[in-house]
Amino acid sequence: MKFGAMSLIAGTAMVLSAGFAMAGAADDAIKARQECMKSHGAMMKVAVPMMKGEAPFDAAALKATYDGEDKACADWAKWWGADTQKGETVETYAKPEIWTDAKGFEAAGGAWYEAAQKLRAATDEASFKAAFPAVGEGCKGCHEKFRRPKS
Amino acid sequence: MPKFKTIVKALVPLAVLGLAGFWVLTIPHPLTADQLPKHTADVTNGEKLFHASGCHSCHLPSKDSGLDEASVAGGAPLKTPIGTLYPPNLTPDPETGIGKWSDVDFVNAMQKGIGKDGEHLIPAFPYTSYAHMSTEDVLDIKAYLATLPAVKNAVPQHEVTALPLIRRGLGLWKYVGLKDAKFVNDPAQSASWNRGAYLVNGAGHCAECHTPRTFYMASDDAKFLGGGPHPDGQGKVPSLRDLVGRGKYKDAADLVSAFQDGEAMGYEHLSSGGMGAVQSNLSKLPVEDLNAIAEYLLSLK
Repeated sequence: MKFGAMSLIAGTAMVLSAGFAMAGAADDAIKARQECMKSHGAMMKVAVPMMKGEAPFDAAALKATYDGEDKACADWAKWWGADTQKGETVETYAKPEIWTDAKGFEAAGGAWYEAAQKLRAATDEASFKAAFPAVGEGCKGCHEKFRRPKS
Repeated sequence: MPKFKTIVKALVPLAVLGLAGFWVLTIPHPLTADQLPKHTADVTNGEKLFHASGCHSCHLPSKDSGLDEASVAGGAPLKTPIGTLYPPNLTPDPETGIGKWSDVDFVNAMQKGIGKDGEHLIPAFPYTSYAHMSTEDVLDIKAYLATLPAVKNAVPQHEVTALPLIRRGLGLWKYVGLKDAKFVNDPAQSASWNRGAYLVNGAGHCAECHTPRTFYMASDDAKFLGGGPHPDGQGKVPSLRDLVGRGKYKDAADLVSAFQDGEAMGYEHLSSGGMGAVQSNLSKLPVEDLNAIAEYLLSLK
């Protein structure tokens, strides 16, 4: 009896602490996702003026932003657990469709990834200008369905 | 208990009177064919206004229908606070589309919010904005729709509790919600500004989301395009006032670029909350119309 009660307490404590650990992990995953998105934003800030002819084409500057994206987004696949739909202390704009339409989400992310790889391969100005819009369209394809408006 | 009976007896005629009053007040008043202007339809103009009106954004087929997603065959579920709506098929199919609709049927739907069978239409369909369009432009949209391939697609019934009663009740709502006034040019402003104002207030139906609503769910004109809660229930729809002053856009050219390219040029805020589809529609408008919209919007401080 005594052993049973103790194991019950221990079990409850383990479940609770696991719960707390998961909550913290959810926040970490959400923050990591947002850092990854910010790295895309940083890339856009450098690339769009080149697209519009407001800044000279600069392959090295572009490469640096691509590297920043790759670094910030390296663990992407680990950040979308079912427990990350809501943060404890951070707000997420992720829509529930990410989890209810996981295939659609993966396809949308995949479309961006494919376009981004082509952009990385485009190292001269003409091919950069040709490859770039598809990347932005890839961002749109995912944001349209899977990101809710900011509050 | 005689008192109770007397009260009931007195209430019955009141209730009957009330119901009769409700019935009379909610009678739809459609236009008749002889009230339409004489007009030779311009399909090219109709196509332009079809995109400006964003018809496709709601009237597309559902994903699992296997139909061409670019068509306006209808049926993609539209979740609203009153239930799930299934926007109708706008293709010329005579049975499941609007192939049998007359010009006046179409104008009544677009500008009076009255369906082919004389019923009040649910204002998720933004006839409250389309009411400000010229009747000629509305007829041009119909002419354009008639050129599209007919798609057979019977759309499900709306999933709304007490739909007939709600429809009837919309007759009352229209007294506050439907301002049945055609757009009038402001002679103090440029032709381009007026064109922009016409597109924003009429076909573009920007105010349906970007203007908050009153307690009665009518557009709150005092807060015109001032932003408000998102109709989906989560997040906000941004204000369209003072876009330059608030640092959202550099100038009119920047805003036009956003309309044309959206997130392909890094305008990432144009992708969520349904604005992605709006931007796709806007990108199909001629640049002079986009310049006009930008000129008008940027004049709103």
